[in-house]
Formats: sequence, C-alpha cells, structure tokens
Amino acid sequence: MSMFSFDLHKRKILTVFLLLLFVWSLLGVKWQDGVIHASGVGTASEIFMAMFTPELSANILALAFESSWITLAYATAGMSLALVLGLVFGILASGVLATRKSSRTFLKGSFRGLLGFMRAIHELVWAWLFVASFGLSPYAAIFALAIPYGGILGRIFADMINDVPNEPIQALQAAGASKLQCLFYGYLPSVKNSMISYTMYRYECAIRSSAIMSFVGLGGLGYQIQLSLDDLNYDEVWTFMYFLTIIVVLIDGWSSLLRKRMAK
Amino acid sequence: MSKKNIIELNQISKNYERKIALSSLSFVVEKGETIALIGPSGAGKTTLLNMLASNFEPSSGEIFIDGRPLSQLTDRKKRAKKIGIIRQQFDLVGQLAVIHNVLAGRLADWGLGKSLLNLFIPQERQAATQALTRVGLPDKMYERTSNLSGGEQQRVALARLLMQKPEIILADEPVASLDPSRAEDILEMLTKIAKEEQQTVIASLHSVEYARKYFSRLIALKNGELFFDLPADQVTNKQLQELYQLKELK
Repeated sequence: MSMFSFDLHKRKILTVFLLLLFVWSLLGVKWQDGVIHASGVGTASEIFMAMFTPELSANILALAFESSWITLAYATAGMSLALVLGLVFGILASGVLATRKSSRTFLKGSFRGLLGFMRAIHELVWAWLFVASFGLSPYAAIFALAIPYGGILGRIFADMINDVPNEPIQALQAAGASKLQCLFYGYLPSVKNSMISYTMYRYECAIRSSAIMSFVGLGGLGYQIQLSLDDLNYDEVWTFMYFLTIIVVLIDGWSSLLRKRMAK
Repeated sequence: MSKKNIIELNQISKNYERKIALSSLSFVVEKGETIALIGPSGAGKTTLLNMLASNFEPSSGEIFIDGRPLSQLTDRKKRAKKIGIIRQQFDLVGQLAVIHNVLAGRLADWGLGKSLLNLFIPQERQAATQALTRVGLPDKMYERTSNLSGGEQQRVALARLLMQKPEIILADEPVASLDPSRAEDILEMLTKIAKEEQQTVIASLHSVEYARKYFSRLIALKNGELFFDLPADQVTNKQLQELYQLKELK
C-alpha cells in the first residue's frame, strides 16, 4: 500500500517535469522568422477568403457528388470488411473462448500481436503498398482501409469484452453454458451497444481517411482537392471540403440517431 | 436411512495463504432440506458456497454430491443439472430481454444451434411464460432486463432457475440488496418453489429473522468453524447473541 502511494507521488513529479520541459522547449522556437513563411501569409489569406466563395457551378457540383460517392463507397466497403475482421480477431484476442489458462494466454498474445501489426501501419502506407501491387484499383483502397481499421476495431472490441462484469458470465457458466454460449448470451449482448457506437465513430474516421487516401490517385474527394489545389482553384477546394464536411456530419447524425434508439 | 443424503461435507478446510477461512467442517444435507447459513461477516459462508459451486476446491477434505465426489463432477452441463446458483442481483445480462435471461437456464440442454436460433425466435416459449408467471412477471417477457427493478430482476433469476431445474440451489445473499418487503417476497418465493420442485436449498443470509422464518435448518459459522447446526425452531436467542458477539477486548 505504501509502495503504491509512493509510486503515485513519483508519477506526479514526472508530470510536472514533462510540463516544465514543454515550456522550456517553447523558448527554443524562433518566433520571428521560423514559424510562418513570409510569402505564405498572402496565400493563407487567399485560401481562407475562398472559404466564403465556394465554386457552385453545375459541373463542379456534379463532380463533387460523384467524388463524394466514391469516397463514401470506399469508406463503407472498407469499414464493412474491417468490422468482420475486427469482430473475429477481437473475439479471439479477448481470450474468452479459450478453455485453459495456457491456451488463453497464447490466444490473447498472438491475436493481440496480429491486431497490433495491422494498425501499426497507417492506412496511407497500406494504400501505397496496395497501389504498388494491384495498381489503381478500388480494392487497393478498400484493403488499405480495412486492415488498419480492422486492427483498431479488434483491439477495442477485445478490451470491451474483457471489461464485461464477471457476475453475469459466472451465472451463465453455472447454468451450464459453454464458452460459445457465454459469448452469445453474455459477452456480445453486454458490449453490443458500445461496439455499434464505436464502429460508427470509426466509420466517420474512415470517411476522412478515404478522402485522404485518394491523394494517392485512387479518385474521390481528396483527389479532387489535390487537383484543384494544384490549379490554385481555392474556390473549388472549398466546394469539395464542404462536401466532405456534409458527409461527416450526416454520418454523425446517423450514429447519434442509432445510439438514441439503442438506449431505449 | 430414511432420506437420501444429497450433500455430504467431510472435514472441509480452506486456507488462503496463512488465513484459515474454514476449518474441518462436516455436515450432511438431506434431499429437500432448506438450509440457511448464518454468521458474522468473514465467517466463511461465501467460501463454503463457492466450494459447493465448484468455484474453487477445498484445501483438504471432500464434498460429496449424491454420494459422488464433487471434484469428479467436472462436466459443466451435468453439474448445472445438479447445482444451480442465485446471487445478488448482478447475475443477469442486463442488455438481453427478460425471456432470454430466463431461457438461459436451458443452455445446459441446448446445443449452439438452438441457443443461437433462440436469440432470434424464442424457443420453448410456453415453458418460459410458465416460469415467469410463477414468479409473477408474465407481462415483462420482452422488456430489457436492465429496466427492471432489483426485486423484479431477482425474480427473473428465480425463473431462470425454474428453467434450469437443478436438484440443489445455492443462494449467496440472494436478498442482500433488496428492501425488507421485497426481500421477504423473494425468500418466500424461493423456498416455495424449492418445496414444489423438491429441491434442496442452501442460502447464506445476513438476517437471522429471515433465516428462522423461511428455512428449516440453520447452520451457523463463526471464524470458519461450525458454531451450531440446528432445526430452525430450536435455535435460541442466546445462541444467536453469542454468534454475532464481537470479540471482547482483553
């Protein structure tokens, strides 16, 4: 007990030390000429002024709709695959299906490791790898999203399953439920709602990622933003950015609607 | 021997590191008896129930269920037919509909296919309705379990036991988190059902009053040892006073 409070005390000292270190690091920044490029100020204001005059001509709007659709389609397909991967690997990584302690440790260790590998590599890097191997095909985008997102979902699902209170599970076991029956009657119903709302949140992230990934050349909103930026058409850039925002807001609205329905 | 001994404890001891939780406890339970385990906190009531539930093994001694060692009753499904457990109200899966918590009592008899199908199309609905009617909740069948009150949840747990039909019911503080009238309600229901189904009950209780009122036999534990083991109507107030007395300061 005394050891514990001592450790807590030490951790506070570390926090203060790190804060001081951060403040000290600020002194090293050359505020006059290091932060903003001199001619950058003009460009920046130009870009931000364009915010109020997005390009709304018919062909740009049509292009924005089409690219939004591609971005949404990649994100949805990638996320669906990620959900399957996350569920299967997450349940395995939680170790609740293991019968003995040794197999539980093995299962947890190997699948948590696998999930770690999947999400350690960013979706953009996966995208490069897949574009290099498949070429510019939609599969490249979908797999590039599905792998790291599956890793993230799996990890969080496994943690959620491990946090399920023990009493109801023990009661199911006492009623003669097998490991799989415990999974479907105890663990999964208990975490279902949190799983859905976390997946919805990740779906939102996937849309942003899907837009970014199209910078690689896979089509979609990000690709259009890049093209317009290259042409210095800031008005068009903002049209695409607003479309991206609308999708994200819509998904967010859908997810809160779902959460409200689940709470009933 | 006129009646069958369903539980036999032979010199049971349990140590945690250096602490002795139970020391050489022996008693015999006949089929159909309703037993209340009483005694101050830390006397070993929960330890005893956990050993009977096979949550852990005694450090020494042996438990016999129906004449067979409990340690050999390792098949979870077979054990569930012998021994059922009810605890405080955190026992149910709150997100499931009441009917699924009730039908979870049948999982020992169902394969994976049937138990999965049940989550979509409830199976054996008639039996579930019957069980819920017996505990007085026929209209709550499709409600989410977490929306029920504590007393109602404990009735759902009883309905699950009705579906499970074990020969022995272990009840670990079944009414600890309920107000007095609901507590009596649950205890009355538990002992009535046990009588109707010819089940044996061992329940740990804080309240001596309830123990005397609803159970046929009281087993008192103090400091991990048997303090007395008497029919409920033979327990005197003096014995109870001694049981709960704090250690005198020397």
